[in-house]
Amino acid sequence: MVKKTLEDIKNTLKGVDASEISYAERGYHLAIEAQKGSLIGVVEFFADKGFYLADLCCVDYAEYLELVYLFNNFKELCRVKVTLKVEPDKPVAPTISHIYTMAHWYEREIHEFFGVYFEGHQKLTYLFLHNGIDCYPLRKNRVPVTDDDKKLLDSFKPEEEEDAFFINLGPQHPSTHGVLRVVLKMDGEYILSAEPVLGYLHRMHEKMAENRSYQQFLPNPARMDYPGALLFNLAHVAAVEKLCGIEVPERAQYIRTITCELNRISSHLLWIGAFLGDLGGLTPFLYAFDDRENILDILESATGSRLTYCYFRFGGLYNDIDDTFIDMTKKFIKRMHERLGMYEKLITKNVIFINRVRGIGILEQSEVPKYGCSGPIIRSTGMPFDIRKVEPYAAYDKIDFEIPTGKTGDNMDRYMVRMKEMEISLNIVEKAIEKLPSGPINAEKVPKKLKPPKGDVYHAVESTRGETGVYIVSDESDKPYRMRWRVPSFSNLMTFPALAQRTLLADAIATMGSFDLVIPEIDR
Amino acid sequence: MGKGGFHLETKDPIIKFAVVEKILNLARANSLWPMTFGLACCAIEMMSTAMARFDIDRFGAGIFRASPRQSDLMIVSGTVTKKMAPTLVTLYEQMPSPKWVIAMGNCAISGGPFAFEGQYNVVEGVDLLVPVDVYIPGCPPRPEGLLEGLMKLEEKITGTRRFPTVEQKW
Repeated sequence: MVKKTLEDIKNTLKGVDASEISYAERGYHLAIEAQKGSLIGVVEFFADKGFYLADLCCVDYAEYLELVYLFNNFKELCRVKVTLKVEPDKPVAPTISHIYTMAHWYEREIHEFFGVYFEGHQKLTYLFLHNGIDCYPLRKNRVPVTDDDKKLLDSFKPEEEEDAFFINLGPQHPSTHGVLRVVLKMDGEYILSAEPVLGYLHRMHEKMAENRSYQQFLPNPARMDYPGALLFNLAHVAAVEKLCGIEVPERAQYIRTITCELNRISSHLLWIGAFLGDLGGLTPFLYAFDDRENILDILESATGSRLTYCYFRFGGLYNDIDDTFIDMTKKFIKRMHERLGMYEKLITKNVIFINRVRGIGILEQSEVPKYGCSGPIIRSTGMPFDIRKVEPYAAYDKIDFEIPTGKTGDNMDRYMVRMKEMEISLNIVEKAIEKLPSGPINAEKVPKKLKPPKGDVYHAVESTRGETGVYIVSDESDKPYRMRWRVPSFSNLMTFPALAQRTLLADAIATMGSFDLVIPEIDR
Repeated sequence: MGKGGFHLETKDPIIKFAVVEKILNLARANSLWPMTFGLACCAIEMMSTAMARFDIDRFGAGIFRASPRQSDLMIVSGTVTKKMAPTLVTLYEQMPSPKWVIAMGNCAISGGPFAFEGQYNVVEGVDLLVPVDVYIPGCPPRPEGLLEGLMKLEEKITGTRRFPTVEQKW
């Protein structure tokens, strides 16, 4: 199937340098080298074919800067990498933000971290950073920010306007779940426009990765997405394993699946509590945390920590699970099935809750590729896209499970999809425990100091919020040359300004709550 | 007292009613209202502490207020970035005196894992911005750790400890 699509792409796109790549080694099927003149044509072609922009990042090779556009298709797996080389001094590239809405933010991010100008971009102002920073942080050599550029970056100021006023939602607000700031332009109770300002928790993970060896970076992913720490841990570990060609024993794969799914349930439970808390119901918060503590007990017995797990190692695990772990898990599954019934009675059938969420914050299915969002948000629009199914990792290909989908893509559907996902996760854990093979949990001959071969790799996992991808460029040293994190909340949040427009402030809070945002993940 | 302002929190008042103060302090220590100020990972553990299993309400500190004007205690739970720093100081200044600050987690204490050479965005310790009363180490600290930190703060306010400490046997 993929072969046919690739042939199709190669035949249509004549005049650009396209080469097929081994998917098993690199994580993408096709690499295309575009020129400044041909880039727009190539991107338009992919937009027509229904591809979504999975990621857009920049790599500094000292002699030139390389922009990397990663495309994928929701209908069938076909990852394409398009690269564009730009000059290191005064780098300029054409914008693609009129084709893909999501590129608006990606390009702003690249502009402030690398200093690349995008011709035709409407608003190249600060998204993450602030005006106290005087050089482009992710450049390999120190490049100071010019005064002109600083003026451009610092030009976002909400100004007063007749019949409209501004509200700052955040950075300290109980329903932004952290330190997100949204500048709302209001007309009475209605929102005229919403403009998220990020970066209040930018902790330089990508910069840190370049300063540390692969092993030293192991604890970091857990700090990026703390409710679903294991899934981010897995994304990092699996990407490096793909790059080095390390085979992971089967038992370890199964244990990874079990612990990841438990973590997914605990993350969804946290979300239910926070979401209902935003809507004004504090009772479910207490119930959800009660269940969550049970999962934390189970995971603590294996991983040693309560929240920010660092459990997976390159080629295996930190330690094996024992019979107590399995007994506790079985007990929990039984308990959780009962509790899900209780949640149904307590929340799903609650009239006040239904009225607050049904028919509000509707995301159209046709809009999804423009934003490149993923996870429960797109499944709620009726698109059965799940990385666990299309690009199986760990032991997901050996376990049969279904993908829950919604119909309309409103807040209610997003809630229902997550509730069903918890049930399915319980089934996955149950099946994985039944099939759990015995054997070693660590691959043999994994060197203490990893020095992966030259090249790049992209690996994606389905985290609790959607597609989490790691793009690593290696230069044969023990540190990654560049590590880029494609995070789901970032692209999911991009839909918020569109969904919040012309709605009541209270409804916008409900929509934001239903997104399950984790701010350190957005800010990285 | 400062020259033009009323910086009661930095210096002791000139006239002090010892007994009244003692009673007031006892009341304050047993009804610390924290501000809902979740920054990062530690905020989840702070929420866990407030929930059923650990139940911070047992010590009168369970009423999390969303507004700084209604709270006495700021639990800085997470990394403070340079972009966030001015907001944090504003929030601290908006709190009515007497007020206390707990630095929860390594990030709030010293920048934690994010204080590396060449870093450009993290404030290395919240004590560079506001005075801190209690430091709780951990990444993140367990809920028991936060409760112990609360005991320490109560001890600081009243001069006596609510529970006897566990004797260390090693």
